[in-house]
Amino acid sequence: MDVRRSSNALERADDAIVAGRAMDGDVAAFAVLVRRYTPMMRAYTHRMLNASADVDDIVQEAFVTAWQRLPELDDPAKVKSWLMRIVSRRAVDRLRATRPAVDIDDLEQPAPSHASPSRIAEAKAEVQALGAALNELPEGQRECWVLREIGGYSYDEIAEELDIPVSTARGLLARARKYIIVRMEEWR
Amino acid sequence: MTDERDAPELRRLGLEPADLDGHTIEQLTDYLDAGRMPADPTIDDSAGCRLALDALERLHAVTGRLMADDEAAEPEADESWVDRVLSGIVLDARSGRRIPIDSPSPVADLGITEGAVRGLVRAAENSIPGVLVGRCRLDGDIEQPGAPVRVLLDASVPYGDPISDVVQRLRAEVGVRLRAHTELNVTGIDIVIRDVRDPSSWSEEDRG
Repeated sequence: MDVRRSSNALERADDAIVAGRAMDGDVAAFAVLVRRYTPMMRAYTHRMLNASADVDDIVQEAFVTAWQRLPELDDPAKVKSWLMRIVSRRAVDRLRATRPAVDIDDLEQPAPSHASPSRIAEAKAEVQALGAALNELPEGQRECWVLREIGGYSYDEIAEELDIPVSTARGLLARARKYIIVRMEEWR
Repeated sequence: MTDERDAPELRRLGLEPADLDGHTIEQLTDYLDAGRMPADPTIDDSAGCRLALDALERLHAVTGRLMADDEAAEPEADESWVDRVLSGIVLDARSGRRIPIDSPSPVADLGITEGAVRGLVRAAENSIPGVLVGRCRLDGDIEQPGAPVRVLLDASVPYGDPISDVVQRLRAEVGVRLRAHTELNVTGIDIVIRDVRDPSSWSEEDRG
């Protein structure tokens, strides 16, 4: 079997097989995971950071960490959510390192000037409105929301990850949800 | 209605407790997360709550679409990106335990790593078209010569081939390779088929 066909078969194999091989040290299998999940991890990191700077570095670091820690993965079939956790942690670390001293949570966030409802195609309106609303959220609220709604974290896990009390995490999430819903209603 | 609300822009849209018959958006989120079970009539019978629950559910659905759109908007991982990631990893991180190999010379100390044996086991797939070997475990005290060892491996097979035939061929192939290249006392080779790949989803170019 030539290399290309073999690698095509690997590209089609499910996560349990591909991650299982990567756990055992098969670099070609790990490369399949990199190709398969880079867009997801980049998209997640973009939402988490609300910026494109550092995304490449964070995703690369996440994959390097994943390679080191793959043998600890209990079930290779769950590699996707496991990668999501790792890139989350990396993104949070980056946020911690660059966090400004002021609590900008309470500052007014100006609405973005680039998007107006009339310019949004109807079919995409809700999705774009949500994206815009997320961009406007204060960072604490956005981080909680992304961890919860995209990362699938529990309230306890969010609190631990962001080093805040659970009650604070729940409060930030409630405020985020209210803000997003209000903004999306306005755009309907 | 009370006089205590301090966010008029939210009151208009009905997400404060006074709009929700005393409930909070947090409680409604928990209620949705629990699948609206056990049923709470003070929520279900409240028009304000129903509106807010609808908005929360819609938000949840839109979130899924947002992530799908975000992901689709990202560039595919090109080879230079893959190379960049791979350049940062430590390749010998999986050598595992050291398996001794007997030598007639008393001064020679021969061995093969567990990682290399796993590579041998994986390579057995090359003899059986379409088969992919997944994770491979060597269960036993492989560092002791002659100790019984069971080989546990996952495999993926193409749709259509009788699985028992494929498993039998793969087991034989793995056995041959281990006997040829190691001195492991293999007492069994357990194969779990984790994945049956459907060729109807393959492109023409991939067949052959």
